[in-house]
Amino acid sequence: MRPATLAKRFYDLVAPDIPNEWDVEEVLDPFADESEAICEAALGHVPVIWPVSHSLCYDFLRLLPKALRTLSIEQVPRWIGITLDLYETKGLRAAQRFMQDDLKEYLAKLDGSGGLPLSIAGKQLLPYIRGIARDDLRIAVSRQCFTDTKTIFVPDEISFSENIDENFLFYKLILTFQWGFIVCNSFLSSPNKTRDLVDFFQGFASPHLASSIYQNLESIRVRVFLNQELPGLMRAAEKHIFSKLRDRFHKISPLSALQFAIIVNKEDMAALLSEILNSNDRNAFITGQASPHDSMRITEALCQDIKQEQDTELLVKTFSFQGVFKLSTVVTAGKIKEQQMGEELSDLMATHLLSLSKKELAKLMQEDQDKKSGNILAESDISMIVDSEFAGTAKEEPDAPLLVTINNQEIDLPPELEAFSKTFLKEFGHLPAKFISSAAGKAGKLMLEQDITGSTKTEQTPEGNAGIFYDEWDYRRQGYRKNWCTLHCKSLTPVYSSFIRNTLDKYHGLTIRLRHQFEMMRSQEHFVKRQREGDDIDFDALVESISDTKAGLPGSDRLFIRLQRDERDIAVLFLVDMSNSTTGWINRALKESLVLMAEAMEVLGDRYGIYGFSGMRRSRCEFFHVKHLEESYGDKVKERLTSITPSEYTRMGPAIRHATNILQDVDAKARLIITLTDGKPEDYDDYKGQYAIEDTRHALLEAKTADIHPFCITIDQEAKEYMKHMYGPANYIFIDDVRKLPVRMPEIYRALTC
Amino acid sequence: MKQQNQRLEEHLITKKPYYLATGSEIEIALAAHKNGLPLLLKGPTGCGKTRFMQFLAWKLKLPLITVSCHDDLSTSDLVGRYLIRSGEAVWTDGPLTLAVRHGAICYLDEIVEARKDTTVVIHPLADDRRELPVEKRGELLSAPPDFMISVSYNPGYQSVLKDLKPSTRQRFVALSFDYPEAKMETAIVLREGHVTQEVAESLVKLAEMTRSLKESGLAEGASTRLLIQTGQLLSSGIDIHTACRAALIEPLSDDPELLGALQEMVSSVF
Repeated sequence: MRPATLAKRFYDLVAPDIPNEWDVEEVLDPFADESEAICEAALGHVPVIWPVSHSLCYDFLRLLPKALRTLSIEQVPRWIGITLDLYETKGLRAAQRFMQDDLKEYLAKLDGSGGLPLSIAGKQLLPYIRGIARDDLRIAVSRQCFTDTKTIFVPDEISFSENIDENFLFYKLILTFQWGFIVCNSFLSSPNKTRDLVDFFQGFASPHLASSIYQNLESIRVRVFLNQELPGLMRAAEKHIFSKLRDRFHKISPLSALQFAIIVNKEDMAALLSEILNSNDRNAFITGQASPHDSMRITEALCQDIKQEQDTELLVKTFSFQGVFKLSTVVTAGKIKEQQMGEELSDLMATHLLSLSKKELAKLMQEDQDKKSGNILAESDISMIVDSEFAGTAKEEPDAPLLVTINNQEIDLPPELEAFSKTFLKEFGHLPAKFISSAAGKAGKLMLEQDITGSTKTEQTPEGNAGIFYDEWDYRRQGYRKNWCTLHCKSLTPVYSSFIRNTLDKYHGLTIRLRHQFEMMRSQEHFVKRQREGDDIDFDALVESISDTKAGLPGSDRLFIRLQRDERDIAVLFLVDMSNSTTGWINRALKESLVLMAEAMEVLGDRYGIYGFSGMRRSRCEFFHVKHLEESYGDKVKERLTSITPSEYTRMGPAIRHATNILQDVDAKARLIITLTDGKPEDYDDYKGQYAIEDTRHALLEAKTADIHPFCITIDQEAKEYMKHMYGPANYIFIDDVRKLPVRMPEIYRALTC
Repeated sequence: MKQQNQRLEEHLITKKPYYLATGSEIEIALAAHKNGLPLLLKGPTGCGKTRFMQFLAWKLKLPLITVSCHDDLSTSDLVGRYLIRSGEAVWTDGPLTLAVRHGAICYLDEIVEARKDTTVVIHPLADDRRELPVEKRGELLSAPPDFMISVSYNPGYQSVLKDLKPSTRQRFVALSFDYPEAKMETAIVLREGHVTQEVAESLVKLAEMTRSLKESGLAEGASTRLLIQTGQLLSSGIDIHTACRAALIEPLSDDPELLGALQEMVSSVF
């Protein structure tokens, strides 16, 4: 087709737009030599792409001739379809990248082979890496691989090879390698030190190069560590990944040896490293003796040797499984942890200060009260001195005493607090004064509160609706705040909808299976021996009775055996967290699981009640009725269940106390409270952190004292940190995917009660 | 009586059982025995509770009578009953009576599996009375100083119906067991599983990995017993991946995703 004809056709297609002549010429010229069919194909797609994005349309025309070397004309519409989808979901850049770079991957997919998405691999990878790391690491999606030490970021799909197993292995390698950086201490031990590392790189003419060299040196350390720790994985990686990477490897500078050393065997690694390192350093690296500080020292030395005129960006690169070092995210994650641990420390310290006798405490705070007109201790006036020598030698002398001084008064720390402080010191290298002084502040405030309260500090409840008062546990004063919370019982307004029907349709197969399973549980039949009446003779009893008679004793008349159904006699309350964090999928999954549970319970015959809880502040804790214990599972209940919606906060203590109250009057062999939640207890006021956890724990202890078993089903990823403390190790279960909740909940109930 | 003595002889442990103490459990148990106090062992499955009892019995040179509790266990099964032998009614001691009569150690394994009405029979034995009423014979047996009663259970089971009554629980000196720390566990696997130091270390590493998976839905991680069994399969010539699959992974879960993840751990470690 002649260029002029092509251009005319193009202008007609895009009218009334008038595109720039130069652009049109540039993209259409190459088509002059193409066949009629290709020109038609190209022009045929213009009306589809042009209205979406002009720029994308030019890109399409520019790339089509090249793409047609690998794509057939029939495959072009699908190719464009994906590009436009990407444009609409991820923007122009993503669509352009797909057209330009990802064509090969796209072709692999067309062949039915190719990439492995994280959504499929993740189900195995998460427990894998958690097991390997013996830590609750998380996996998240990002284009580049990196870790902030709490989460490992990986691409949402791996297309290293056409073989799905090799792609899975690649995922494993990425995760394990990133974990390797964490254990091998590549980011140094504390946020402050990580920040020093950032400064260290900034000190170079090319921070990027310094960071790449450091990362490669650290990767060699990680590789050596993994060779020892996980030899199986390294063998598999050598066979399926490293060998391929070696084939594709281009040595771009002498420094590339550093990168290449990561993917070769031990002998070759030694040979490669001797090109760059002296023999001492080389030996330290290949024997696993090297430290991050060695890597820093060598980075410094290598950077000095580089001539100014060299293009430093190109001197050394990293493999995709090594990812990148994003030190700022590591610092942030570390800071968050430091803050959390700091607050915990400050709470513990405040508790300890309060446990001192009033005299001691008053003495401690005397100076301040002299200075200040107000009664509350000013945080800034508390001096905190941790024996500075100790801070430096924390690692060498773990048994050295820890001295904390407030207002020149030395304080002895109880063992628990001392152990926690030492862990903190070990992890972060220092005890920040702000946490200690805030502890003193808290203690001072509470002391005053204790003096004043007891009588005057109860909040007025709204008139007309008196509510029920519950005490709340204050761990800092090791006592209850009397009548602290007001709980209002409400009934949810029934809402008619197709939710129940839809849920039952959705889980049709599961419901049938559950009914069957629960029916089996109900009819737990067994033979009861030694009965006065029964279906059959109990031979053991008969023999025994005859023997007794022979021995001169009166023989027993309990000689029959009877088939008896086990009386389950269980009463259970389901407490549903209705805080606003349960919005969306979580709320839906919670309700779906309740529907399935209710269906199963109807078959089983255990008495059960369903209640929701939420509220805001201590004066308005709300307890919503969905189904009372003795109520039948009728339409009204179903409608109330449908109307469970996220509301406000999670003040768990009063809800558990009220549930305990309800169950206390119920006569049953076993009584249970099963809480369904998505996170920590928390309210709008100071009901947070350790205070909330300790109050909930106390409410649970009260339930246990009343011979009621509390159990919790949580979907909070961080549950381990506090659940074990709150519920006890065997009394909670974590579900990693909220979508599994409807399936898992009846299973959990079954395991709990059989 | 001769026959009973013979029965008792069978329970005497003559060969020193291998047990590696992880704390002061042996001293505590010996002190408890000296003072006539009953023992409660709690801990996860396969961590060495039963082996500890065997070791203690060997050390005290006392017979160890073990009863594995189940929900059909009756009081007669523990105390004893009349049996007819050649037309004559003969009284036969149950394991508990046998132990009391002869000053042996009676070990009720997994006591929570027994019905609560059965377990109350041990109450008078487990406090300072130290006596066992044998109602059918109108006897009240006083336990000799050597007699010791010991029970065990696994607090990790999540069933609410299987728990010890406080009135039972509060009679015992309790020893808490857990999986030994890595070095000790390696030594145990090395010795009992007949494997090399390197394999033992890797097996222990693997077990620690599985034990950290509670948050991912694994009820209990691999026990020391499973590690030993894996080692034994290995030393009989089974290849390492097969042995781990059969003895370490499959017993832990039926969930295909978890099994997959566990298998990946094995292939990474070995």
